Amino acid sequence: MSSAAEIDLEGPPAPLLEVRDLRVHFKTDYGVVKAVDGVSWHVNEGETLAIVGESGSGKSVSAMTILGLVPSPPATFPTGDVFLRGRSLLKMPEKQQRKLRGSQIAMIFQDPLTALNPVFKVGDQIAEMVRVHQDVTKGVARKRALDLLGEVGIPNPAVRLNQYPHEFSGGMRQRAMIAMALANDPHVLLADEPTTALDVTVQAQIMALLEKLQHERNTAIVLITHDLGVVASHADRINVMYAGKIVETGTADEIFYQPRHAYTFGLLSSLPRMDRSRQERLVPITGLPPSLANVPRGCAFHPRCAFASDLCVQDVPELRPVDGSAAASEHRAACVHSDRVAMAHDERVAQ
Amino acid sequence: MGKFVIRRLAQAVLVVIAATLLLFIGLFVLGDPFASTGDKTVPPETQQILRERFGMDKSLPMQYLTYLGNLFTGDLGIDFNQRRPVSEMIGDALPATARLALVAIVLDVLIGVVAGIIAAVWRYSFWDVLVTVLTTLAIGIPVFVIGIWLRQKVSGTWIFPGVPRPFTEVVPWYQEVLLPGITLAIVDAAFIARLMRGSMLEVLRADYIRTARAKGLGERSVIMKHAFRNSIIPVVTYIGISIGVLMGGALITETLFQYHGVGFLLITSIRQNNNPVIMPLVTFAVLIYVLLSMIVDILYAYLDPRIRLS
Amino acid sequence: MTTTPNPDLSMPAQAVLVEPADHHGDMQPEEVQSGKKPSRGQLADITRRYRRNKLAMVGLVVVTILVVLAVFEPLIVPYDPYDQNLVNALQQPSADHWFGTDVLGRDLYSGMLYGLRLALIVGICTMLGSMILGVVLGAWAGYRGRFADGMIMRITDIFLAFPFLIGAILVVRTFGSGLTQVIVALVILGWPTAARLMRGQILSLRESEYVEAARSIGASDTRIVSRHILPNAIQPVFIYSFTSIGVAVVAMASLAYLGVGVPSDTPEWGRLINQGIEQVQVSGKDYLWMFPSAAICITTLAFAFVADGLRDALDPKLR
Repeated sequence: MSSAAEIDLEGPPAPLLEVRDLRVHFKTDYGVVKAVDGVSWHVNEGETLAIVGESGSGKSVSAMTILGLVPSPPATFPTGDVFLRGRSLLKMPEKQQRKLRGSQIAMIFQDPLTALNPVFKVGDQIAEMVRVHQDVTKGVARKRALDLLGEVGIPNPAVRLNQYPHEFSGGMRQRAMIAMALANDPHVLLADEPTTALDVTVQAQIMALLEKLQHERNTAIVLITHDLGVVASHADRINVMYAGKIVETGTADEIFYQPRHAYTFGLLSSLPRMDRSRQERLVPITGLPPSLANVPRGCAFHPRCAFASDLCVQDVPELRPVDGSAAASEHRAACVHSDRVAMAHDERVAQ
Repeated sequence: MGKFVIRRLAQAVLVVIAATLLLFIGLFVLGDPFASTGDKTVPPETQQILRERFGMDKSLPMQYLTYLGNLFTGDLGIDFNQRRPVSEMIGDALPATARLALVAIVLDVLIGVVAGIIAAVWRYSFWDVLVTVLTTLAIGIPVFVIGIWLRQKVSGTWIFPGVPRPFTEVVPWYQEVLLPGITLAIVDAAFIARLMRGSMLEVLRADYIRTARAKGLGERSVIMKHAFRNSIIPVVTYIGISIGVLMGGALITETLFQYHGVGFLLITSIRQNNNPVIMPLVTFAVLIYVLLSMIVDILYAYLDPRIRLS
Repeated sequence: MTTTPNPDLSMPAQAVLVEPADHHGDMQPEEVQSGKKPSRGQLADITRRYRRNKLAMVGLVVVTILVVLAVFEPLIVPYDPYDQNLVNALQQPSADHWFGTDVLGRDLYSGMLYGLRLALIVGICTMLGSMILGVVLGAWAGYRGRFADGMIMRITDIFLAFPFLIGAILVVRTFGSGLTQVIVALVILGWPTAARLMRGQILSLRESEYVEAARSIGASDTRIVSRHILPNAIQPVFIYSFTSIGVAVVAMASLAYLGVGVPSDTPEWGRLINQGIEQVQVSGKDYLWMFPSAAICITTLAFAFVADGLRDALDPKLR
């Protein structure tokens, strides 16, 4: 299943996957829920983009929109689009979208126990993934499933092929999910909280596996998580999302060492660090994330922000390049008080 | 899995024995069939003769054991009323009930499952509302009442044989079985539809359905393969139990429609105090129900691999 | 053949649990509830939700009307239900006889009122009997576990193995006819369902997280059961009790139709239907069986709506 059509021959090469000014709004009894409110990003082969945010920040919805998994009613897409190598996904008819799902773009989900069908064997489920997109016999598909299980590091794959999901351990299940997702050599892998349901040691293994597979296949990975720790050593670039918008974006180094948005700063401060002094207190972000039906005026973060001022309530801050960043850098933040954040961060580091 | 089956089997046997014992005590001990009942006065000497004839002068445990033994060998004795071999009477009635059960089950599974799936997949649509309303009515209105209205208003029209009809009138089985079958099917279909709908709704919300869609599967595959296989499980167990109940004889429906099945025979025998007939019939009903419950449990374990290993 | 809802087959939705927030990362701390009895505010909430449900309100109104009619029956009945008046036999419904008269000249309306009284007496007494028996035994089985549980489960198995009507008929036959005997028979056959329901609830609640939490702070067994488990476990049983009244009414009518249970001249609904059907052959008068069957229908539906309404009101998550 190659993307034989629509390669744009003029202008700069289109990014592999691009989201442009995407808005996803839900009509509910409580009003319009703006799950995703004007989000733009892109990712290329071999890159890992992390999208970080709390529950309800819109990160999962953006990923599901890419795959067309958001049922439309009740969702509406007032503006924006998603492009795979320049082809619009949102405008694509359903049948074509389905051809992409699982073949060009694949997704792995948070809880592998519930994400796998409990009444079918694991091997059959992986083989199904193959047969949906490739015209091969059952035997060939099963062989492929067997190979995949081996690739993701599951011992004794021949036996495991015939077992059911509940017979696998948590980590193995996630490996099986990854095997299934990679069955058709997708260009993009969307990983929605892939390690959240797993133990810490298993988390590390899974992330290492993803990295290895990415190296081998040059897949683009979009890693969605709320856990900055997971992101730290595995992401090339990071988007920080809050209340449906991206509030800061940059490379991993930029985000971790030069946060310029109050929310990013808050996230970093609330991370327990092994390398800091033990006397240091964890500083959580006060308050709760806002309901997406009732987003605060101006900057959505201002009610919880230590640096907020009147300016923050007036207009919604735009994503602007960060002061003092290099010319080629794409480090941007949507904060009026980036300077204050920078100072606070430097103070903290100095301690 | 094997241990599970054996355990269930043992339980089943225990229950059947206890139930038949209870039955036996109730029938022969507490209710003396030869005592005078109402209008029928039986002279004491005749009572004594009858008792001897039917072996009821022996001690109770002896009677029970003899009876069990007879049951196994198929010797069910002779009925009190017409002195016919009981096994012959039951042998006539049983196939009729089996046919009725079959027709009812086929109807209610087809209608119920399809209605349930449609209601779940097109939730909140006209069909969903229709199914909800119809099932509420079908469940709320007792079988009894449904049967009566069908009998009074529909029987005798079109292909449905009239009720009541003279004993001598012979009606082909496929016509005879229709109205009672429909009556029974209506209620069960409603239950199945609701069960299917609820189960399907819950399954459709599951993560693995989202995964199936993310694989690029067409909606039809998602529903008929992934969702169906999971949501049919509680329905299958219900159908199993339903078969058990129906095979025991649908008393009311058979009586209403003059359908000469096991239920009809049972009612008549009870009215006549005809113990030799009552005992095996009820035992059979109990046996079938317990057997099917057991099969259903095992089937459930087979259908849901998660249960198999626990 | 009556259809008793089999709690073993009911969907998981039947288990009305009040659980702490579920695991998928949703942050809703205010959703955590303990198992305390409903507070004032909750009671108002429940009533409000119930009132919003139109079907449930209709059911409640109908049930109230039926109960009032049954209670005041001796005062409001226009004729003695047993009073025969052969001259007046088989009259169409008229101003004198709202529902007409039967073959013996008895006023059908009066007969039906009396039948209503009988039906509700049987229904409510059966419900009380089987619920009390079922709850006590079921709770004991669920909480004590092991031996008690096994024993009670076997006993319920035995009783449940008898098809409902067959069992009822046999019991009545053994103990003789009469209203009390009918009630006893229905209780004997009805309590296993209630017991199973209760036991199932107790079993699942016993393992739930907030009970573990209570245990971990040292709460005694009795305290746990009474404050945390019972109020929640009793909910589905409470809901089912309304349905069971309807079931009992139908069971009694079925028995009466078959000629079992009450003397054949009692104007009990099932009996009236039986007689009414016979009359159709002779006189072609439909109303004699239509009115009683409609009455059974309305009663059962009303109780069913109330039960459904209660279920939705007590746990809106189940919609």
